[in-house]
Amino acid sequence: MIRSQSRGLALATISIAALAAGMTGTASAGDKITLTFANWAAAEGTTRPGIEKAIADFEAANPDIDVVSEAISFSEIARQLVLRARSGNPPDVAQIAGNDTALLGFTGALEPLDGYVSKELAANLKQGADAGLRKDGALFAFPWNQSPAGFWYNKDIMQKAGLDPNKPPRTIDELDAALAAIKSSQPNVIPLAIDTTNRAFALSSNWPWMQSFGAVPVGNGATGAESKEMKAYLTWMREIAKAGYIDPGRKIGEFRPLAAQGNVAFIWDQVLLKGVMQGASGMSDDDFYKTWGVTTLPAGAGKPATFEGGHQLVMFSSGKNKQAAWKFIEYLTTSPDAIANYTIGVNSSLPSIKETGDASLDAALGTPVFKAFSDEIIPTLAPQPYGPDFAAAATAIMAGVQEAVTGTQSIDDIALSIQQGLPQ
Amino acid sequence: MPTQASSSQVRAAPRRRREPWLDWMVLPTLVIMAVVVGYPIVYTVVLSVEDYNLLDFTPADYIGAANYAKLAGDPIFWASLVNTAIYTFGSVGLSALLGLALALLTENLGGARFRAIRALLLTPWAVPFVVVAFLFRYMYLQNGGIINAVLLSAGIIDAPIPWLNSAVIALPAVMIANIWAMTPFFFLLLSAALSAIPNEVLESARVDRAGTWGMIWHIKLPFLRNPLLISSLLMVISNFNDFAKIWAMTQGGPGYSTSTLVVYVYRLAFERFEFGYASAVGVIWLIMLMVFAWIYMRALRMENR
Repeated sequence: MIRSQSRGLALATISIAALAAGMTGTASAGDKITLTFANWAAAEGTTRPGIEKAIADFEAANPDIDVVSEAISFSEIARQLVLRARSGNPPDVAQIAGNDTALLGFTGALEPLDGYVSKELAANLKQGADAGLRKDGALFAFPWNQSPAGFWYNKDIMQKAGLDPNKPPRTIDELDAALAAIKSSQPNVIPLAIDTTNRAFALSSNWPWMQSFGAVPVGNGATGAESKEMKAYLTWMREIAKAGYIDPGRKIGEFRPLAAQGNVAFIWDQVLLKGVMQGASGMSDDDFYKTWGVTTLPAGAGKPATFEGGHQLVMFSSGKNKQAAWKFIEYLTTSPDAIANYTIGVNSSLPSIKETGDASLDAALGTPVFKAFSDEIIPTLAPQPYGPDFAAAATAIMAGVQEAVTGTQSIDDIALSIQQGLPQ
Repeated sequence: MPTQASSSQVRAAPRRRREPWLDWMVLPTLVIMAVVVGYPIVYTVVLSVEDYNLLDFTPADYIGAANYAKLAGDPIFWASLVNTAIYTFGSVGLSALLGLALALLTENLGGARFRAIRALLLTPWAVPFVVVAFLFRYMYLQNGGIINAVLLSAGIIDAPIPWLNSAVIALPAVMIANIWAMTPFFFLLLSAALSAIPNEVLESARVDRAGTWGMIWHIKLPFLRNPLLISSLLMVISNFNDFAKIWAMTQGGPGYSTSTLVVYVYRLAFERFEFGYASAVGVIWLIMLMVFAWIYMRALRMENR
């Protein structure tokens, strides 16, 4: 009897202890902060493992924070974020890029970040990394990584065309001569790969070419679409299309496999091209550097320029866990692990900070391609006319570029129709 | 007399059976329709008279008919409208003709042979539209596309044709893809309609020594008129709203040469976030489709009388 009573007592004690432990567990789970992170990195096969590892590492280092990754495709994310911000349920943190960043900044739904950025971090940011990310002086997005475009040249194709493979064209005239030599010696090679689709990204990509001719059709210091510089750019585009130097209508991504197969001589593309081509061709680093080089855009009447295709991180002002959200943003941007596993590892881009604090990472950033981007190309970064009118301008300008490249309308008429289509 | 009486009884019978409370049973359907169809339409009309940009978080301003006035002077709207008409009526007309021809050609085939041919002819209809678009996009590639490769190797052309990169031939090229995908629909429907023609009618025509063309023109086509009208109305509405194929193949380019109303509305609403202006285009678009459907239905009713 006593034994049975003591057994009952023991069971009751264990039950109460278990209940108490459970309650404690529940309370501790309730104290955990959950961050929502809208991003396209988790939506793409190449970058998904890298971002998942970065999130897992962050959660391990911050056991009080859970990150829920919301995978949204790159082409959809701006629309979804604007709609969610308008309906009052935005994520805590979001990945964003290009004009979409400016659009979100324009809504006023983003948390100004200056108060979160320490002096040390501000000093460690690369010069110009936060360009275009301020509205009325306030930083509305934090630069996660940098991915400017460079002028990639295939040394083997140049050599076969009788060109010096170590002297890529520096001017538009030199480029024209090189394109002619390549076309005549290797008719099956696409001499120059540029994106001539009608979308906002295509204007970003073509903007430096326009600047190369001194054309500024829209934005600060605009001289309009009917300027002689813009007409010179459109005329040049028509001439190279007629000569068969470009393959119109392809997205830049569609040229990458062709470049990996050695069928493209010059390609105007972002730093990530190296990773994509190596992934497609299985080429080693040494072979890649022997075959491909990258430099600044050939210049015409203007200066060489490039555009920033890197990604930013934003925090919404209606979020409830801003400190945790900032901790996550700072981790993704500055943690050597996140830089190694995601930024360089799978995203093939450059970190936005000068010093990573990791010798092996700094060595990885000293390779020829990254060095060319850091030392030569990034200093030519030029601002783009981002804002609410950019998409409308992109439609008008790229429709005109497409007409110049594929149509028969006179350049004067095309310039006029672009001008009429630009937002007033 | 008894016959008349019985027919009036038959006609009166449904009236006697009618129960007024049954009318209320339609109410849930009406409520659902009002929510899922009525509300979006009314809200679109409301948005069309407002300066409503999704990026601007301040309340939208009422601007009356300003969006409609802007529309009247918008060359891209008019170009898109013309492209929509060419794309829709061109695709539907040619698909219907091809579908009819195929239905007539295969009409007398029987057994396993017919089943195999019909299955083959119906295959394009089973392919998702986006897949059709990408299939043709890659076949049309100026460099590396199979169509140019075949034409070049056969010596038919000297230089690759810029199928989707020429402002002149891009729209017909997209229409070919659309016709390829849509023809089986007409073939299926018209084959069924052909098999429903009473044998007595066909036999009588044969007895009267009607030739093949006479049979088609005077006997079969009149029987196919209603199915053709209904199916082409459905396809006109479907093609008027066709976004996937055009967006995947050309995104409305080069220039605005393949931009249709649906592509233009998409750009306005989801690239520029100009919901007010996009709604005005949407309202005009809706009115056009309703007018077209009304004319069509009226023609059908007159024919039935």
